Amino acid sequence: MQSGSPNAIDLAIKYGFLVLMAGLIVFFGVMAEGFLSPHSAVFILQSVAITGILALGVTATLVVGGFDLSIGAVATSALMLSSYAMVVWQLDAVSAVALCLGMGLLVGLVNGLLIVKMKVPDLLATLGMMFLLVGLQRIPTEGRSISTGMTLPDGTTASGIFSEGFLMLGRHRLDFILPNLVPLSVVFLVLIAIGVWVFLELTRHGRLMYAIGSNAKAAGLAGANVNGYKIAAYMISGTLASFGGVLLAARLGRGDVASGNNLLLDSVAAALIGFAVLGASKPNAFGTAIGALFVGILLQGLTMMNAPYYTQDFIKGGVLVIALVFTFALSGRGGRARG
Amino acid sequence: MITRRLFTALAATVAMVPGLAFAAEMPKPFDKPAEVKIALVRYLSTGDFFQAYLSGVEKQAAALGVDLRVLDSRQDAALQADMVDQAIALGVDGIIIQHGLTESMQAAAQRAVDAGIKVVAFDVNVENPKIPQIEQSDRDLARLALEQAVADNGTTWTAGYVYVPGIAPLDRRDETWKAVKAANPGIKQVAEFGTLDNPIANSVANQARSVLSANPGINVVFAPYDEFAKGVKIAVDEAGMSGQVSIYSADVSTSDIAAMREAGSAWKATAATNPAVVGEVSVRALAQLLAGEDPGRSVIVPPTLITQKMLNELDIKNMEELGAKLPAFAHADVAVPAWMPLPKR
Amino acid sequence: MSDQAIRLAGLCKAFGRNQVLRGVDLDLSGGQVTVLMGANGAGKSTLVKILCGVHAADSGSVTLAGQPFKPETPSEALRAGIVTVHQNINDGVVPDLDVASNLLLDGLASGGGVFLNGRKMRARAREIAAAVGLTIDVSRPVAGLSLADRQLVSIARAMAHQPRLLILDEPTSSLSAAEASRLFDLIDSLRARGVAILYISHRMSDIRRLADRIVSMRDGRISGVFEGPELDYSGAVRAMLGHEITEVDITIPQPGLPVLEVRDLVLRPGARPFSLTCHANEVVAITGLVGAGKSEFASVLFGTGAAVSGEVRLDGKPHRPASPRAAIDAGVFLSPKDRPVNAVVADFDILRNLTLPFLKRHSTAQFVRGASELATTRRMISEMGVVCQSPTDGIGTLSGGNQQKVMVARWMAEASRLLLLDEPFQGVDIQARRDIGHKIRETAATRATIVFVAELDEALEIADRVLVMSEHSIVGEHRNENIDVSAIMAQVVDASLPSAAGQ
Repeated sequence: MQSGSPNAIDLAIKYGFLVLMAGLIVFFGVMAEGFLSPHSAVFILQSVAITGILALGVTATLVVGGFDLSIGAVATSALMLSSYAMVVWQLDAVSAVALCLGMGLLVGLVNGLLIVKMKVPDLLATLGMMFLLVGLQRIPTEGRSISTGMTLPDGTTASGIFSEGFLMLGRHRLDFILPNLVPLSVVFLVLIAIGVWVFLELTRHGRLMYAIGSNAKAAGLAGANVNGYKIAAYMISGTLASFGGVLLAARLGRGDVASGNNLLLDSVAAALIGFAVLGASKPNAFGTAIGALFVGILLQGLTMMNAPYYTQDFIKGGVLVIALVFTFALSGRGGRARG
Repeated sequence: MITRRLFTALAATVAMVPGLAFAAEMPKPFDKPAEVKIALVRYLSTGDFFQAYLSGVEKQAAALGVDLRVLDSRQDAALQADMVDQAIALGVDGIIIQHGLTESMQAAAQRAVDAGIKVVAFDVNVENPKIPQIEQSDRDLARLALEQAVADNGTTWTAGYVYVPGIAPLDRRDETWKAVKAANPGIKQVAEFGTLDNPIANSVANQARSVLSANPGINVVFAPYDEFAKGVKIAVDEAGMSGQVSIYSADVSTSDIAAMREAGSAWKATAATNPAVVGEVSVRALAQLLAGEDPGRSVIVPPTLITQKMLNELDIKNMEELGAKLPAFAHADVAVPAWMPLPKR
Repeated sequence: MSDQAIRLAGLCKAFGRNQVLRGVDLDLSGGQVTVLMGANGAGKSTLVKILCGVHAADSGSVTLAGQPFKPETPSEALRAGIVTVHQNINDGVVPDLDVASNLLLDGLASGGGVFLNGRKMRARAREIAAAVGLTIDVSRPVAGLSLADRQLVSIARAMAHQPRLLILDEPTSSLSAAEASRLFDLIDSLRARGVAILYISHRMSDIRRLADRIVSMRDGRISGVFEGPELDYSGAVRAMLGHEITEVDITIPQPGLPVLEVRDLVLRPGARPFSLTCHANEVVAITGLVGAGKSEFASVLFGTGAAVSGEVRLDGKPHRPASPRAAIDAGVFLSPKDRPVNAVVADFDILRNLTLPFLKRHSTAQFVRGASELATTRRMISEMGVVCQSPTDGIGTLSGGNQQKVMVARWMAEASRLLLLDEPFQGVDIQARRDIGHKIRETAATRATIVFVAELDEALEIADRVLVMSEHSIVGEHRNENIDVSAIMAQVVDASLPSAAGQ
């Protein structure tokens, strides 16, 4: 990419996706009234905040040549756990959030150990973890959703509430240009995206993780702690997924039983679309954030134009396929064929 | 368990025919209820609705004193059919089929009937004249909610509508919505959206916000499923439009009650059938069949309208209080012959 | 000659810029075992792959029983009677299937009917197995067999094709002596049946036992053919390794203090213990055939493997690194062999490849300092003479020689106590080889350096001292002055040869 004079194909690979996104914005701006407004922009950001955060976690595992299928389930488990902690155990917001992040960290550690120490292939280990969590989150409430004043399996009524501070995580809006415009979750997305980008691109740890993803053996012989970094990647993924679940709980204000499969698919799609951004051909935080945004813009625009939900899945899939073609066929250098 | 069953039976008997020995008044085979075995064969089980339904079945079965077996196929249509055969092999006297697919359950239900077993079906049409259908009336649900919408907003409004086609109860609710729109030309639907991507409320919220920003004139949203309504409410709150939009829905849960009662909530009313009551009715209809009575070809459990105003005035915080303070919700006078013991409330 | 099973004439093959075969002429006759010898990269495996239909030759011809032969697929070669038993035994069998299915696999793969007749299959399989002296239950899964039995299965499977030419690629590398002798008996009986056999091996004991003829290969050409009643084994090895040393201008400097001291090290059970000392300002080459234990020794020093017993001291202190990181921190660096597998990070540019092991030194508070990396990379590029456009060129855009320069530069960018270079000249052109060698000697003053090479030329070009390794032990030591090449050769080939005692 760096050598030779830029020709049309190089330019298309590098900027094609950004141009496509700009075109999409113009198209919806013309076709859907109200699309080009600060409110609309914030809506888009908010709708992708949670999947974006999950996608950044997946990106970390993709960087070390792994894959985490359990993120959706981790997120919904955190959704249930935070609700349970506050409604049933009557914990405060800080403890509930800390508990969830700890759970995500632990799940990531277990995933990492299964993969690194037990030599279980990554897809299978995290698939197993996904089923485990989907089941586990239903056990304490016998499959019920958790809400303030719910009846517990033993017949008593839960008296805890979702604390204001916790709900603010998902609902509070900051003044920016317009009063009450930017939700906190968007701020978290931006901060986490910057944080993951800085970690992967600017620190030596990120560099070593990319080296491990490209050639783990060579990285190990160059002194990198391959197993340690792999485990760390799954712990990052688990923690970010659990934070996504916390934001979900704060937005919904209750603990819904859900498998989180849609969260998984959307965030994996965002991370894979990210391969195509700026011709990176590899997992990268900036691309992932753009990928999530791209899907958000598309869905917002289509919904504003009254497109039915099934066409949206179709178009999401189409975008993913185009992005993968950008990455693998046009750039002709393959990157890493995962997912 | 024992004491509660005794107490229930005692209370029921005392209330109905005071002074007589209670066992003697029960029709066969409920004179020896412990020997009566019934099975609940489920297709859907996860979620609040199905949990509550199960609790209703369990309570009514306990009130009767019969032996209840629960077989749960977890959305596996083939397994559900096999479970009917399993129940036949267990030698049960009656079977409740809860949800499922007509195609997979029709033959299995027929086999059960052929084996001399009494069968009732809830929310699944097994196309068998010998099998009474227990139904919550989706049309009535939609009608009650929409009548309230008309009462609150008159007959001229701009509507948003949440709908995913192909889901039987939503399709039935949709019929009523079409009829109401046809009858009231002043109701103008400007947007239709909806998704079942889970968590559903979150996905619907994302859509609803887009819809509201594209159509700022919407003042009524008909969301005939509480997950939809919850999502719309999140979007309305986030768009700061709580003052100008009203949401009407169907179904209810503890968290829905909390959402409806929030200060300035846009969620004005919902119509619901208590799933626990549907569960009780299912068992009672089966018991009638076993006792040789005819509950009718179709047993409809009527819905109740629940408005924000009622909840606030009665200070209802959860489903239990809803049942306690809104008797119409806690109990349906359906399939209650004189001898039928009712669960304790 | 009418009994030629197969004749190769002027075979050439290149992969990209890399000319692997440069005109191979070879006749193979029925009823004769031809042993093919050649160092890594000499072109043996490419030659085999052309014969068994994996690759097509760029030019030249193959004649099989008088007919031109150009197989396009392995199964076509198989049908023509060219049967190959690969070095990796599991390439020749399907472990999850039973013996009978394995024996009949080629028939299954090439068609005829849909359904399998179990009884018929097993009967036919027993016939095939008996023909090679294999007496096991054919309904057992292959996964449960010993390596030797698996190999017999893969040979038996090959025999079902009435082979004209049987190619065996290092077949005894994982067999015990008893198992090997069973294999040799089988080869004898095949020879008696008139099959032409091409046997690739470095084991002199195998070669003495079997060879009717020895063919040596070097740099993509046949470098020697030895036949007749008395085979010239040393001549064959010399032809394979080459010894036309072009004026070695090594001036041996005064060695410094001892850096590495190895005492009674046993690399694997049963190997003879050995000791050695390497000094600062000294370049030691350890040479020996593939599998002689060079890489195992390097692994022990670099923390990726453990010795059975013995002691290693670095600057007088015990050296037992638990990981490469520990070795690196102790000042022991290793540039591994097989560059694409063990060294190159394909997704990275030159800069990122080069600074990989020492990122910490280019970082402040975990953040990588780009300027520091760039300065080091620029310096190493100019010192090693890496030909590239800029430090941010993708590593894949470089030639093999330049890639190798980057890989060696990776470990020369920082000062080490002991620098280990495992096959640093692998897949490298002559100019790059000279450059790298020169650089290694030029910077050697402050450290001890050990270069592991299979090719004697390379050892003589770079080292002050040449140690010979065989059977996982050091069997000879030679100061690189007026060196007796044939003595080294003899030690390389077989430690127990009488000529080895001469040193």
